[in-house]
Amino acid sequence: MRSWGAAAALFGLLALGPASTAAQESGIALGSRAPAVVVKDLDGTPVDLARYIGTRPVLLEFWATWCEVCQALLPTVRAARQEFGDRVEFFGVNVTVNQTRERVRKYVAAEQPPFRTLYDEDGASTRAYAAPTTSYIVIIDRKGKVAYTGTGASQDLASALRAVTAP
Amino acid sequence: MSIRAIAATAIVLSVVTVPRLQAQTPAKDSSKGPPTAVMVSGPDVGRRAPAFQLPWANKDGIGPADQPYDLGLDRGKTVVLAFFPRDFTSGCTAEMRTFAEQYDSLFGPEVVVVGISTDSLATHTRFAASLNLPFRLLSDPRQEVARRYAANDRSGYLRRVVYVIGPDGKVRYRNLRFNALDPKHYTDLGAAVRRARTG
Repeated sequence: MRSWGAAAALFGLLALGPASTAAQESGIALGSRAPAVVVKDLDGTPVDLARYIGTRPVLLEFWATWCEVCQALLPTVRAARQEFGDRVEFFGVNVTVNQTRERVRKYVAAEQPPFRTLYDEDGASTRAYAAPTTSYIVIIDRKGKVAYTGTGASQDLASALRAVTAP
Repeated sequence: MSIRAIAATAIVLSVVTVPRLQAQTPAKDSSKGPPTAVMVSGPDVGRRAPAFQLPWANKDGIGPADQPYDLGLDRGKTVVLAFFPRDFTSGCTAEMRTFAEQYDSLFGPEVVVVGISTDSLATHTRFAASLNLPFRLLSDPRQEVARRYAANDRSGYLRRVVYVIGPDGKVRYRNLRFNALDPKHYTDLGAAVRRARTG
């Protein structure tokens, strides 16, 4: 009974996920130049996205440890990394709202998410990419243009990645 | 037309025209988002917050119908109005969860916080209980209050907008593009609340 309740709650969350996006917050525009921000990783080492953007395709996921939708999306991202990881750079930008570095470290150690984790402490990349919600994915083509954005637990990342990795 | 009629017409025109000009003036916004296509107004900082009453619910249930939340009754306190799109969506969950878990550092014990959306009171109760929210959620299904605070939207969901109202009933801070994922917006909000509390 309890699992039915949890399933119903998750279904509701997944079904309603994009609604807030539609209401106000739509994210960065497709075709726009991807901002090459500098974000620190979990150890505090600055990671300059300019090193990757414009040289090879990049996938960014804005996530948090408390985000159930991100958890549900994880297998899809894992599969995408499996198939495209040799041609695409995968970053997971932790949004740091209601997070601590320690909590994120523990999560990463336990879940081994399929991306390099960045810790966006001052929200620079959240603002630059107008991230409307967690589970927000941005895929950038090799020219540095935004080729895909999406939110929610069900996203067709493979098609978008196939397009940006096509010769 | 008599002089009296001309004077009366002039008075009527001035009354009608001034608010319209104010509504078309670009609002000073504390956030630095891209320009929006939606014309916004709502009470600016320093202006009196429009009075309103709305039915409410909290994690324990629905408030009495004859005792709606009344902003006027909170005169003398610092009040935070947090308009948000929809219960149970991930952005709103992030925002409300952060408000709840960081309540003491963001707001403090003497501050009144209310969340406002178009959701029903029954949904509000479930949402508040799921996050153990220590504050009330108000229901504004027809966006009547939201419209007065520039939080209405044609989508049917409210925009994410936050106001801090001082004990004198005047707006001390507002963010018409509050981003639930931006840590700076929470920092700015907390600082605004502290300023309002200390006068």
